[in-house]
Amino acid sequence: MDVLIQIVASGLTLGAMYAVATIGLSLVYGSLNMLNMAHGAILTLGGYICYAAIVHAGLHPALALLAAAFVCALVGLMIYFSAALPLLRAENFETNIFIATIGIGSVIENLMLKGFGPYPIPQPLAVDGQVVIGNVHIPLQNVFILGVAIVLMVGVAILLQRTSAGRAIRATSMNREAAQLMGVRVGRIYAQVLALSGALAAVSGIMISSIATLTPVMGGDPMLKAFIVCVVAGLGNVYGAVVAAIALGLLEAATQYVLGVRWSFATLLLLVILVLIWRPYGLFGKQQVVRL
Amino acid sequence: MTSIRRDILIGLVCLALAVALPFAMPGRYVITQSTLFFIWAIVVVQWNLVLGIGGIFSLAQMALFATGAYATAMLGFYWKVPMLAAIPMAGVITVAVGMLIGLACLRLRGPYVALLTLAIAQVMYVLIVNDTDCFTTTGGCMPLFGGVRGIGQFGDIGLRALFPSKWYVAHYYVGLALLAVAVTISIIVIRGPLGLAFRALRDNPGYAMSRGISRFKYQLWIFAVSAFFTGIAGGFYAIHFRVVGPTVFSFSTLLFLIAMIVIGGLGSIWGPLLGAAVLMLADEGMRELSDYRNIGLGLLLAVFVIAWPNGLNGWLQRSRASRN
Repeated sequence: MDVLIQIVASGLTLGAMYAVATIGLSLVYGSLNMLNMAHGAILTLGGYICYAAIVHAGLHPALALLAAAFVCALVGLMIYFSAALPLLRAENFETNIFIATIGIGSVIENLMLKGFGPYPIPQPLAVDGQVVIGNVHIPLQNVFILGVAIVLMVGVAILLQRTSAGRAIRATSMNREAAQLMGVRVGRIYAQVLALSGALAAVSGIMISSIATLTPVMGGDPMLKAFIVCVVAGLGNVYGAVVAAIALGLLEAATQYVLGVRWSFATLLLLVILVLIWRPYGLFGKQQVVRL
Repeated sequence: MTSIRRDILIGLVCLALAVALPFAMPGRYVITQSTLFFIWAIVVVQWNLVLGIGGIFSLAQMALFATGAYATAMLGFYWKVPMLAAIPMAGVITVAVGMLIGLACLRLRGPYVALLTLAIAQVMYVLIVNDTDCFTTTGGCMPLFGGVRGIGQFGDIGLRALFPSKWYVAHYYVGLALLAVAVTISIIVIRGPLGLAFRALRDNPGYAMSRGISRFKYQLWIFAVSAFFTGIAGGFYAIHFRVVGPTVFSFSTLLFLIAMIVIGGLGSIWGPLLGAAVLMLADEGMRELSDYRNIGLGLLLAVFVIAWPNGLNGWLQRSRASRN
């Protein structure tokens, strides 16, 4: 029983972090058909900005979190104006933006390497204490992460479902041309979505670095997992991504306990391959009918 | 001049220049760096078949390269297979792995393929690096795949014994010969019916399939063809450096190679080779700025994709077209 509580607790924390990292990716793919390979670097940048704001600038942790989200939203906007906008006018957008964001991600990552050095730094934004359920001690940090993730997810859901900007985002991801004909300024939607995804990445980077440590390359692993979540859920399906993220988090915690840390990623991947062979468009994705 | 004749001409000129290089610049550094260039060029030329001609966005090429290198090293280390036999065997093993990856990607499109292949490479890396159980204890504890330190002492093709002081020149010519064969195969594939089928499937899968071109068959073909020489190149890399470690999976190598293809010109015959040469030279030129290497590479990659998506090759073709 204690083991079960332990697995559920760490699985939910993992799942919550993956979910926040994934929502941004999924939104961007849904509206632009763009796989943002710089997402991992933006996520790390968020962690570092928060660190620098608290340690070097002496800001209050809540302000530091906002500052990180703001800077990463700006980076998202920059990616839109420097890469996505010119590439949208040319052919082969999906392939080209993928390669371009690999390049941008590498630039951001190596700038952080120059700026903060290769050594792991602890994230100062941490909550002390723990709660006890049965015989299991759960750090308050994990509860805090879960709370922030839920608030963010509810916030994004309200944004998408209840506001006109959200309606425009959903319309664009359903059908770009139709949305454009209905007077949606898709260019502005793209910019908004990339900025939002950058801000979400920052928050998830702070959360991830608060239970691990900050290193310039720490974004790669969560990004890959976020991609896996997206792929399992069906690229661009935001709500499916949340469900898949939490399911994969629980699964990862369980495999880590049963098979050891070494095999958890391999097991995840095997599962993804099987899912993709069974449903190539993801669990919650719709099969696209291509007309000639 | 037909395009195939032009290809032969360019190929022969390049080959002649490369054959003459060790006589013109006999320095050891130049020769070994050129050998490394040949190895990367082989990988890039084969990757271009999948990426540019097949239009399949696979990032598994470095994983295949690593498969070839590890297969060579492990055949030599555990079964004492002579290297001259181990390298072709590694090529065949790589083909098998490549076809498996091709099979896994068969029903996916575009970005899904990129993610799946990237994840496969990452899993291979994680499994190798995190393995700390001793598989053998001859000469110290070593995990099955060598763990973080990699595998060494698996034999040689004998050129070091044959030319004790000039072995690196011998390796240079071996690399050159392998590259020449790899480029020839890629020209045959691109100009031949196989390439036509690949391009048809890339440009309009629906029409191609309704004309009876089987996606299943040709996707497996393209993975198999490009895997073979990538595996051989991996084997040669293992021989040349005498050790195979998990660094072959590093993201910066992947970045370096994909930048070669993009900067040279995706989908063209000579573009990837040109890109490989340009980037190797640029890398040498900026050696003292090595801290900024990946920043520069990333910037180049992004700028080329955004401003010149057809790469240097496209730029050359445009300037030739405007001259005529």
